[in-house]
Amino acid sequence: MDCRIVPSVCSYCGTGCGVLFVVMDGNIVGTLPLKSHPVNEGKLCIKGWNLHEYIISEKRLKSPLIKTDGVFKEVSWDEALKRAASRLKDIIEKYGPDSVGVLASAKITNEENYLIQKFARAAIGTNNVDHCARL
Amino acid sequence: MLSVKEQVRKWLEDGKIDIFIGYREFEGHPIPYFFTRENVEELDSFVESGLRYPLEKLATRLSKLHPEKKIGLLARDCNQRALNVLYIWNQLNPENIKTIILNCCPSSLKDRADCSYLKRQEVGTYKKEVGIDNNISIEELKKREVDDRWNRWIYEFQKCIKCYGCREICPVCFCKECSLEDPELISPGNIPPEVPIFHLVRAVHMAGRCIDCGLCEEVCPMDIPLRLLYRMINDIVIKLFDYKTGVSMEQSPFNILGEEVKLEPKSL
Repeated sequence: MDCRIVPSVCSYCGTGCGVLFVVMDGNIVGTLPLKSHPVNEGKLCIKGWNLHEYIISEKRLKSPLIKTDGVFKEVSWDEALKRAASRLKDIIEKYGPDSVGVLASAKITNEENYLIQKFARAAIGTNNVDHCARL
Repeated sequence: MLSVKEQVRKWLEDGKIDIFIGYREFEGHPIPYFFTRENVEELDSFVESGLRYPLEKLATRLSKLHPEKKIGLLARDCNQRALNVLYIWNQLNPENIKTIILNCCPSSLKDRADCSYLKRQEVGTYKKEVGIDNNISIEELKKREVDDRWNRWIYEFQKCIKCYGCREICPVCFCKECSLEDPELISPGNIPPEVPIFHLVRAVHMAGRCIDCGLCEEVCPMDIPLRLLYRMINDIVIKLFDYKTGVSMEQSPFNILGEEVKLEPKSL
């Protein structure tokens, strides 16, 4: 019987609401708003209330996939990154850096978002950076 | 007399309970915590917390996974009423629950009282003008004309963003199937959800169930006066059935089957 309440920050959008995850026997079973959090003051929207669901979602990818002959196949991170890097290189050489665009995410940290735009501007050489919150 | 902390420690060490649901200070935030014999040293950071979380809802969830475990609980007046409702609706076994009563209603006989409801939020002028003051009494509200009241409730309901927070936080919401998700009753995909059906469906289901803790109103991002709405529903229950929800372990009038109703089937 291992039950815990784990404080965290909602990763659905950039607001940054405080949440508490309810963990029972190692399974994350629910989300509660953090009442003393200065951002949301104990309130949440429907996405925040269901924050635990995408962590345990069946649809969540757990390893990289490469599509070969129309079928997704599980591969190692090294292989996937190598493939992505070489394909990006080919595209940039052929069509120029502005043929690439980068979509950042609200579900990752501020620092990771910083790295994404840095990657787009410094490594690829394009200003085509956008964010999922504008969709 | 033992302090709350010492009492919990004693119960855990004596094996009277297997787990105690209370609060612990974590980086300045009082958050619910599950104290067990294995982490008994964590009791040092135990707090009574002025903020309220539905601890009995956590207990219900826990007992579904481990029905044999004895659960201790920090309980205010509202938690105790919720526990009574959960007992009579067979969601918790009273034999497996032990509570430590907490000061919540202010009185000169007590050193202090702990409840997030004691600091009510001031209601803005616009809401007072066109909506409903969350701090108003039923009597005060009923002094208004029916049409005026109707318009004010509609104003409040149409602010709803359908977050289901009122249901999620509610200690006595435990149904496996919820009417609020029934597409026949409430058409899915609309915000605000059908006004006023969404709120009235929930209100009707709160009759004889709502224990007036006010957590729904506290958690509502749109400040809809839900506590007042359910109070009005339960006012009818008190008048019709002389039943005060949660004050005792008396069965709810809605839990008792009466005589069989014989209705002739009508052709459509």
